[in-house]
Amino acid sequence: MNADLKAALAAQLLAMADDEFILGHRDSEWCGHAPILEEDIAFANIALDEIGHAVTWYGLLADLKGEDRETYPNRLVYHRNLPDFRCAQMVEEPKGDWAFSMLRQYLFDMYEKVRLDWLVNSPYTPVAEAAAKMRPEEVYHLRHTRAWVRRLGLGTDESNRRMQAALDQLWPYALQLFATLPDEHLLVEAGYFPHPDDLCESWQAVVIPYLQEVHLNVARDSRPVTISRTEHSADLKLLLNSLQEVARLYPDAGW
Amino acid sequence: MTDTQWPRYIVFQQAKIEEPHQYAGSVHAPDAEMALMNARDVFVRRPACVSLWVVPAGVIFAKTAEELTENPALLDGVEDQAKAPTQYHVFQKATHKGTYGHVGDVTAESAGEAFKQAFATVAQCSAAAWWVFTVEAVTQSTPEDIEALFQPATSKPFRDQAFYHTVAAMHTASRQIRTQTQDTNIDER
Repeated sequence: MNADLKAALAAQLLAMADDEFILGHRDSEWCGHAPILEEDIAFANIALDEIGHAVTWYGLLADLKGEDRETYPNRLVYHRNLPDFRCAQMVEEPKGDWAFSMLRQYLFDMYEKVRLDWLVNSPYTPVAEAAAKMRPEEVYHLRHTRAWVRRLGLGTDESNRRMQAALDQLWPYALQLFATLPDEHLLVEAGYFPHPDDLCESWQAVVIPYLQEVHLNVARDSRPVTISRTEHSADLKLLLNSLQEVARLYPDAGW
Repeated sequence: MTDTQWPRYIVFQQAKIEEPHQYAGSVHAPDAEMALMNARDVFVRRPACVSLWVVPAGVIFAKTAEELTENPALLDGVEDQAKAPTQYHVFQKATHKGTYGHVGDVTAESAGEAFKQAFATVAQCSAAAWWVFTVEAVTQSTPEDIEALFQPATSKPFRDQAFYHTVAAMHTASRQIRTQTQDTNIDER
């Protein structure tokens, strides 16, 4: 693998890992606060799965860079500065109400699913193998989040109103997930990764009809937010302040 | 006051394909589909499950050995609507310490008849308690669900309490405390 392709792959893995990690962290904020006990357990479980996926992608990144698989992910998570994170703003947004969190999780799960469906056949085997392991978990996540989106969309006036508000807020951010990374074309040309436009098309083909079916309207004139993954919200800053506080105070602390 | 609690569903879990479904506990859910999902999350985070059933708690007919000894005529009362022959699942708890396991199915026209049929065929009169409910009351996972719902847990041994050896460590610790206490007692004597 030449140096440019390697760098592009590293950037891609980092973006994927950061999305999963920050979303998993946001989901985990519902732990102890979900509407009922059963859902508390279920959503904490989904949060752990997403953080697990992040660990997998950080691990592949460590392998690629010749770093230690055990310590490198911790370094990236606990000792990296805000501008070096590569997550999309969609996952940075605070957890909001239950409608917001369920809809974000649904939109993200489906994004993951269409990408994993492609990646399981990637000729770059470490990614293909990781994708094969993650995909069943996403099938389960989708079953869960689809069920909630349907019930809240078709539920009461209030639940529909909250879902529609969440959708209006999330949609432009969701489209940012498909924005092309600087050197992503190298990965597409090498056949390692799908073209983001193709992914976006597959994603919209599933997501839009489902949202309409449950009485939620996608604004047709929506454009993706035009910020890059190097720009971050004040919300992510607050999240990292809290997440990294202990690690920064005691850099040598062991668990 | 209106009851805002969601209905309760009883959960039955099958650990291996050759083993019967066993009572696992209960979950609250707005409907059967969500109950199945909740059951998966509450009871199958740890390995060993190939099938889950959820049944609304209100449709399960329960009898204990004490009740039937006291009043054998209990089974003659009409507990559910007389209807065309219906298939019932029969669950039995062998002792009070045990749990309900699926022992077989019977065909009957009421729950009372189902109990009688069960005692004549699949159930043991010496057991402690029994449940019957119609087969159609069950919402169940399908074999296609195994990959997404149950299989991922098998690669996560860290979710199993045995992974942490906590129970063994507690036993060792309590043995040490007992030994020390005995030593102290001997010294005092």
